[in-house]
Amino acid sequence: MFEHDFLALFPEIFLINATIILLIYGVVFSTSKKYDYPPLVCNVSWLGLLSVLITILLLASSTPLTVANLFYNNLIIDHFTYFCQIFLLVSTASTIVMCLGYFKEESLNAFESIILILLSTCSMLFMISAYDLIAMYLAIELQSLCFYVIAASKRDSEFSTEAGLKYFILGAFSSGILLFGCSMIYGFTGVTNFEELAKIFTGYEITLFGAQSSGIFMGILFIAVGFLFKITAVPFHMWAPDVYEGSPTLVTAFFSIAPKISILANMVRVFIYSFYDPTWQQLFFFCSIASMILGALAAMAQNKVKRLLAYSSIGHVGYLFIGFSCGTIEGIQSLLIGVFIYVLMTINVFAIVLALRQNRFKYIADLGALAKTNPILAITLSITMFSYAGIPPLAGFCSKFYLFFAALGCGAYLLALIGVVTSVISCFYYIRFVKIMYFDTPKKWILYKPMDREKSLLLAITLFLISFFFLYPSPLFLVSHQMALSLCL
Amino acid sequence: MESAPICVYLVISLQPSLILIGVAFLLVSSSNLAYPEKLSTYECGFDPFDDARNRFDIRFYLAAILFIIFDLEVTFLFAWAVSLDKIGLFGFWSMIVFLLILTIGFLFEWKKGALDWE
Repeated sequence: MFEHDFLALFPEIFLINATIILLIYGVVFSTSKKYDYPPLVCNVSWLGLLSVLITILLLASSTPLTVANLFYNNLIIDHFTYFCQIFLLVSTASTIVMCLGYFKEESLNAFESIILILLSTCSMLFMISAYDLIAMYLAIELQSLCFYVIAASKRDSEFSTEAGLKYFILGAFSSGILLFGCSMIYGFTGVTNFEELAKIFTGYEITLFGAQSSGIFMGILFIAVGFLFKITAVPFHMWAPDVYEGSPTLVTAFFSIAPKISILANMVRVFIYSFYDPTWQQLFFFCSIASMILGALAAMAQNKVKRLLAYSSIGHVGYLFIGFSCGTIEGIQSLLIGVFIYVLMTINVFAIVLALRQNRFKYIADLGALAKTNPILAITLSITMFSYAGIPPLAGFCSKFYLFFAALGCGAYLLALIGVVTSVISCFYYIRFVKIMYFDTPKKWILYKPMDREKSLLLAITLFLISFFFLYPSPLFLVSHQMALSLCL
Repeated sequence: MESAPICVYLVISLQPSLILIGVAFLLVSSSNLAYPEKLSTYECGFDPFDDARNRFDIRFYLAAILFIIFDLEVTFLFAWAVSLDKIGLFGFWSMIVFLLILTIGFLFEWKKGALDWE
């Protein structure tokens, strides 16, 4: 009955099977007295990386099935999901590569962290291809549950426990709000499928004071609020700095990279395909402006690296929302380009944070005189910081330029203006990194151990892409244009 | 108007809870008659040996969590068993896959020692 559907889901099924087999392997051998209780975390992480790479291969070569509606319209596969899923798997693979040295240093012998990362990746694959409110909610819940656990995975630090608890409470609360919105939509329309909802809402005016449509308005508002909680947009961002700072650094890296891709992909599908209406534009305008302003101003007062990166990612979500709230094809295209470049820069920054961690990199001032102790790393970090700030000709400038261009193209002049102003303001704390590295002499010289080979490869690849993106941006532009078109048509 | 019985039920079920708490407040010793000696713990006339509170053992919580998970599995098994003739072979194998995933979870907690000391 469902043979073609299972065939289309082959990459996800493979990833789930690999996760289960790795779980059994890990638990049976790491608790067996015969082998003297080996800590299996390195084995499991290399095998996990291998399974993610094989999943990318399976996904990229599934050419007979390019467009499909699966399982009675619960899941969809089209060009948008194809590229989003490949991108998500590539970023997960980079995160696992970053953590291979981390486990050895911190002696975090729990192999379950990798299993949970793999499970949440699988659920994010489902989230991207979800075509029904129920499927979307199930995938969001599975991903969030895995994240609650790995946020609290450092058992001897109450910082980590606090982060896990805060994340759990706020995540459960926001999932509840999301589900309430979904149930109201179902109650007032009778369908949960995105395509059916798109058909219902075409040309249907949704206002607060209409007789039937006020319930639908509240439902969509609740769904929007639930999503905004999860993507850490202002004014629902309060949990992000504490959770990002308290979690183990690897987990912070994973939080900044992977959920943003999948939740943004899901939001694009829900709000631009199903609930397309100018009413939501105002809400997302407001969130975008507030996120940009808060991200720019609050990060200036931070002394700790991970909190600053959390606020900078809040600011970046504000910029990405500029493209999202335009609602045009250029807007979606600029959002996708922005997400790609944001993920590149974030992988770079977190690889550097993890590389320097061996000698306590908690405060920004720990970076002092890095230019003399490790000049190549200093150059890498400066280029990435310049890219975050949006200085031409690096990749960050290209993404911001395209986002503001899309905003101007649809008439949102205020958004573009505030975007440019906050970009300039945020330059301050990005370039402060560079100043500390090159012009500060710390009281005590801080020498770092050299980093391992995998992180250096990752840093080299992302640095190369960031610096030379402007020479040949057309593959990314074409791919994102195809994704945006396949979503809107 | 169909939910009027629910409102009546709510009001009626609120009453015993309020009565219980309210009567406890009425019958407690008023502040004139209470002094520290009267309010302290009673241990056959001796001074209290130790704090009466125990450290909470995490095994109780673990047992409750495991109960929830396998109880929900049994709930699904009930629904499946009753409708097995209508869902046919496909339904049978779907349930087997579900049971397999839960069995793997069970194997994990067995090996980790969550079933050991109770």
